[in-house]
Amino acid sequence: MVVVAGLVATPVAVIVMSIVDPTPQMWSDLWDTRLPGMITDTVTLLVTVVAGAVIVGTGLAWLVTAYEFPARRLIGWLLVTPLAVPGYVAGFVWLDTLSGPFGPRGARTIWLCAATMILTLYPYVYLFARASFRTQGSDARDAARTLGLGPVRTFFRVAFPLARPALAAGGALVTMEVLTDVGTVRLFNVSTVADGVLRVWFGTGSRDSAAELATTLVVTAVALVAIERGLRRGARYSTRATTRPMVALPLGLGGRAGVLAGTLGVLALAVGIPVVRLVAWSQEARRNGATATVAGGLWHHLSSTLVVATLATVTCIALGTTIALLVRRRGVAGRLISRVSSLGYAMPGPVVAVGAVITLAAFDRTGILPDGSVLVGSLVGLVFALTVRFLAVGLHGVESGLDQTPASTVASARMLGAGPVRIAWSVEIPAARTAILAATALLMIDLMKELPITLLLRPFGFDTLSVWVWQATSESLWTQAATPSLAMIAIGMVAVGSLLAALERGAEMAS
Amino acid sequence: MVEKTSPKPLKSRLFLRFFVVGTLAATATACGGGSDDSDDARSVTVYTGRHYGIEPVFEAFTAATGIKVRFTAGSDPELRERLVAEGDNTPADLVMTADAANVELAAAAGLLASVDSAKLTNAIPEELRSKKNEWFALSRRLRVVMYSTERVTEPPTTYAELGDEKWSGKLCLRPSTHPYTQSLVASMILNLGSDTARAVVDSWVANKPLYINSDTDILKAIAAGDCDVALANSYYLARLLAEEPTTPVAISWPEQDGSGAHVNVSTAGVTAAASNPDEAIELLEWLATEGQSTFSDANFEYPADPNVAPAEVLLSFGEFRADLAAVRELGRLNPDAVELLSRAGYE
Repeated sequence: MVVVAGLVATPVAVIVMSIVDPTPQMWSDLWDTRLPGMITDTVTLLVTVVAGAVIVGTGLAWLVTAYEFPARRLIGWLLVTPLAVPGYVAGFVWLDTLSGPFGPRGARTIWLCAATMILTLYPYVYLFARASFRTQGSDARDAARTLGLGPVRTFFRVAFPLARPALAAGGALVTMEVLTDVGTVRLFNVSTVADGVLRVWFGTGSRDSAAELATTLVVTAVALVAIERGLRRGARYSTRATTRPMVALPLGLGGRAGVLAGTLGVLALAVGIPVVRLVAWSQEARRNGATATVAGGLWHHLSSTLVVATLATVTCIALGTTIALLVRRRGVAGRLISRVSSLGYAMPGPVVAVGAVITLAAFDRTGILPDGSVLVGSLVGLVFALTVRFLAVGLHGVESGLDQTPASTVASARMLGAGPVRIAWSVEIPAARTAILAATALLMIDLMKELPITLLLRPFGFDTLSVWVWQATSESLWTQAATPSLAMIAIGMVAVGSLLAALERGAEMAS
Repeated sequence: MVEKTSPKPLKSRLFLRFFVVGTLAATATACGGGSDDSDDARSVTVYTGRHYGIEPVFEAFTAATGIKVRFTAGSDPELRERLVAEGDNTPADLVMTADAANVELAAAAGLLASVDSAKLTNAIPEELRSKKNEWFALSRRLRVVMYSTERVTEPPTTYAELGDEKWSGKLCLRPSTHPYTQSLVASMILNLGSDTARAVVDSWVANKPLYINSDTDILKAIAAGDCDVALANSYYLARLLAEEPTTPVAISWPEQDGSGAHVNVSTAGVTAAASNPDEAIELLEWLATEGQSTFSDANFEYPADPNVAPAEVLLSFGEFRADLAAVRELGRLNPDAVELLSRAGYE
């Protein structure tokens, strides 16, 4: 496992090592010019988007778990679907849409960029919060209400604090997405540090200078996660395993109308309007005969996407679960492995892509592989690079599930003589199953949307949907990007659907 | 190639389903997709940063020569990094870029081989290939002043005039993240000197330009009345006119009494580690000769060979003077241009 963690960390290490030989000139030039603006933009965007995503995600999750209203299950499912809309797709659709009322100048602001990002990222929080509210069960809420707390105070005093590990997991994902995004921000002329990494790298051709800047991002991300963990230290969030499942409370007419308006409003903005516009564009593209690329038609791109996303998801979940279980057993060593192997998630995709190319190409040069085969540009190499970037999603997802495994159950199993493997297999993994499934769906969605790594490392003639979108959008051919965008959203919807179906089954079995 | 990862056998039918579907699809793709490369067929592998309209060009080449083209499209700098990392193991025989600076950086890094070919040196003027013939321009892309024919009667005739106060709030520019902006400023540093170039960029910034990271959208912004004057590449207007012939936007050729309109180039060069150098040179020669029109017209660019007629729509843009002398210097001056843009506060 140490070897695996080491392998996964190597591409990041290749980049971070640049700090050993710093280039002070680059830093003083940057400080005189763009760095202050980059820091302001990054902090503003991060605070706005994380706060927005936590408020929207937690609020919606509480509404759909704690209250009864028409079409609750369907809406509960649909509210996850904005996750299926890649940020760069939401970005170009909204930029075009907002340019109407706000004008092209007014649309390119950090606030509208943040709003677009909140709409695509809040489901990270929603998904974890919803799972957490469900496992909390009704007991705590009902006790709070018996003691005279109103619905709002119940939420803030009981449900919200109990859900904190889940919110932290969701919030951490949003933080990483914002810190590493280079697609959406550029559309809105927002100059973040991640964007600055690419500016420095592409503008000066100096990989080392860019790597130093990228390293500051990793350090920031690690520090933020560590601070959050520090604040939570010592607290326990699990309740008794025999808790009753959450029973939704009925609402009055006004309450139902309010809840419906809120949830459907968010859905219309996050999915409805983008899909309507994309459908119109894809029909225009069909009229112009732009329905395929040189690699093939829709089916080719769809199957490429599914193959890559599936292989990388399975790898990330298998490794993530193993590492998460180790963390619980090995203390400091396990935690170190866990932190090190999730660093890739704190780096912008293009930087990880280059780190992975350097690592894989060095391996290819050793000549260990059978004659003529190389990892760069192979499916194995691509899956490796994607694992480097996204292992953290599997790892943190599984960890948040294990955190809620009652410690007493594990202790009982140990007293009855079960070994660590048996405990993992019979107690911990089943208890964390819901979280593992959630992580699986998130990974499928994240991986299907992924662009920079796939673009640089894909095998010849193996073009995914995101590559198709890139080919069209990099030439501002928005209409041609519509069909693959819709296909990605469709895959995402299926992933969300099977996830939620599994979660329902899990909830039924638990009761 | 199919990766058989052995995941921990988690007890979930969902995982099993994902895995089985994935493996089946991977097998299907591996068998259906790439396995038809018979060994005796000649082929050439290309990394291309210029990916728009490139497919029909390669198809025409294959039809003419029987040589198959395998290519991967990406962004210029990332493909260069991949080339550096791969070293001698690179599958790439030919590198194509959409900009002169990136290819010069690749040449400076020793990634490209010097090519000695009379066909190439006869077709491509000296200013449009590197001094050691490591790369050759295949087409010219002019970065010019675009203006609204509805609202502007006297369009700017130099790049500096875009900084005139009368264009305050009416100017559209592409952000400095883009190589087209960087290369233009690099040419201004060469032609005007650093100080004057800086003063010009300062005057643009003082006009509070609307930065749009897409030439197409810049032209649409002019048509929509969001700006009156802008900088964009010539072929974007040709493309837009092909779709919307009544678009009220026209070109004002800049610097016609001086250095000429800024020229950037689409280029190609044979890699130093090419395993199919003969095929790569053959493709390069074809692109520079028989394939000139096919290559250039696919994207409404001007052919690099001055003796080849440009696409018909380009004739309507009229005659102009082009700044060929700067092309080879764009790579060298690119870092200076990036620095200047940063200091001027150009977004």
